Amino acid sequence: MSDFEIGLLSFPALLALIFLRVPIGLAMFTTGFAGLWLITGSSFMAMARLKTETFTTFSSHSLSIVPMFLLMGYFATLGGMSQALFRAAEAWIGHRRGGIAMAAVGACAGFGAICGSSLATAATMGRVALPELRKYGYAGGFSTATLAAGGTLGILIPPSIVLVIYAILTEQNIAKLFLAAVVPGLLAAAGYVAVISVYVRLNPEAAGVRARVPYGERLGALFRVWPVLLVFVAVVGGIYAGFFTPTEGAAVGALGTGLIAWWNGGLTRGTLAAGFLSTGRATAMIFFIVLGAGFYNGFLALTQVPQELSSFVVEQGLSPWLVLAVILALYLVFGCVMDSLSMILLTIPIFFPVVSGLDFGMTPEQVAIWFGILVLIVVEVGLITPPVGMNLFIINAMDRGTPITVTYRAVMWFVASDIVRVVVLAAFPAITLFLIG
Amino acid sequence: MYRFFFGLSRLMAVAGGIVLSALIVLVCVSVAGRALNGLLHADMVEAVVPGLAAWLIDLGIGPVNGDFELVEAGIAFAIFCFLPYCQITSGHAVVSVFTDWMPPRAQQVLRMAIEILFAVVLIVIAVQLKQGMDGRIRSGQTSFLLQFPIWWAYALSLAGAALAAAAAVYMAAIRTAEALTGRVLIADDMGAEH
Repeated sequence: MSDFEIGLLSFPALLALIFLRVPIGLAMFTTGFAGLWLITGSSFMAMARLKTETFTTFSSHSLSIVPMFLLMGYFATLGGMSQALFRAAEAWIGHRRGGIAMAAVGACAGFGAICGSSLATAATMGRVALPELRKYGYAGGFSTATLAAGGTLGILIPPSIVLVIYAILTEQNIAKLFLAAVVPGLLAAAGYVAVISVYVRLNPEAAGVRARVPYGERLGALFRVWPVLLVFVAVVGGIYAGFFTPTEGAAVGALGTGLIAWWNGGLTRGTLAAGFLSTGRATAMIFFIVLGAGFYNGFLALTQVPQELSSFVVEQGLSPWLVLAVILALYLVFGCVMDSLSMILLTIPIFFPVVSGLDFGMTPEQVAIWFGILVLIVVEVGLITPPVGMNLFIINAMDRGTPITVTYRAVMWFVASDIVRVVVLAAFPAITLFLIG
Repeated sequence: MYRFFFGLSRLMAVAGGIVLSALIVLVCVSVAGRALNGLLHADMVEAVVPGLAAWLIDLGIGPVNGDFELVEAGIAFAIFCFLPYCQITSGHAVVSVFTDWMPPRAQQVLRMAIEILFAVVLIVIAVQLKQGMDGRIRSGQTSFLLQFPIWWAYALSLAGAALAAAAAVYMAAIRTAEALTGRVLIADDMGAEH
């Protein structure tokens, strides 16, 4: 067997392992290790790489941004900012038809601006908004679906851990990717609000009404979200203005949200320890996947498979748009069973060279950023597609009275709006790219 | 036994969290120092209060020396500290839809095989990390600015890697016992927190 054939065969082997419930990082590590062994004829090279690779992967300065953003999201939850955001949004639009659901989406968008993780956004906004939605007579499946979809704004709106990983894999500028994600993120929130608006008109019984709030109270509620604005401007603005590096921005954000949480009395010895544990668990999981992906991709590069695949696709003379559509569709399918970071780490080293080799009439950097945002959206859809959408599980677990199948049905509306948005953003790259020039 | 491993892993993860927090503060101090230093060197400040500006700069107001390499060494230690806790709480990302339909016993046997593989891999990682550390001791390589020996960072990380391997061996033993007896000793979502 040639190296190239071994490389090709490693795909089905890897997928088989993953589908057999082998942890994704372990599956990639094992396949990469075995592959290296096969093509070099001994375990020497794989073992030699291990002497330093684990340490250099875990001590990466640019990746240290990941645990910092995770801790920042945890502190933001403790600081009561999800509560403040929801109260403010509810005060302004809660009296409209479907208004509390719209307020929940708005609050998710606001929380996404200080939190880089969808699961954290869904969890904290679910705790805050779900009881309120149910209290005012919003239907069970509609409420849980709204919050599960709203949670994806945590990653769509910068800062975003998925974008950080994409930027590192493709050697792109994190600041530009964050800026490019702003408009698509706001479009996502607008799309969800539109879905709610249509849904409550078709199913008037799915939403209750609530009294108007006087303007004085509205302004008061709005004033209480200033820490969110401060942290967002400091972190994303500071990174983009070049005042500090992304890692420094993440540290400033973590310290800032930590101080706010402490000021609001949310930070005690108990919550801090719990925060360390949940951050640590997620960090270890992510870095083990990064380690496995590094091993697997190192092996794959030696077999020339990504380069060959890229030139093969180019030689076929297919329409670049068709290739892009197939890739994005593949992400949607994989998203039904796999989490977003694993998908990115698994596929970008293979798909990115393919997309870079195609001619979309844009500069390489523009293609890289535009493709990154499209991938970000399609992997996020995976968080709310049945059967394995993590956000659906998180929110549904909070509402014992609603069967998961009811949530599945309602969430398809939001999935549809996601797909419409992907098509629009793919067809008009300018929407993503105009901010970065 | 479980309480011992769980407690130790938990303790280590909290230690990692403390180191992570310390790094965050270090980076922020460095950013603030750099900003202040830039301010003190600004024309206006040097014109209005030249003595004060010079005095503060002499005091060492500026970015922390070697913050970059401290973050690298510290973050590696923190992540290795997090690994055992992730291991003992089964925190790794998996795709379980295709195996959930299998009979419980088949699932238990599969879990046993996976945990044994995981234990082997983590032992290999720890042993090779030790080899890497020995290499750094022999070469006497030091960090760029602070000149601390690189093997110190390896040695700190090795503690986490060793406990992760031990935790993985323990979990493999548990899953083996489960597969043999058909009982559930440690529930899958133990300590799960998504």
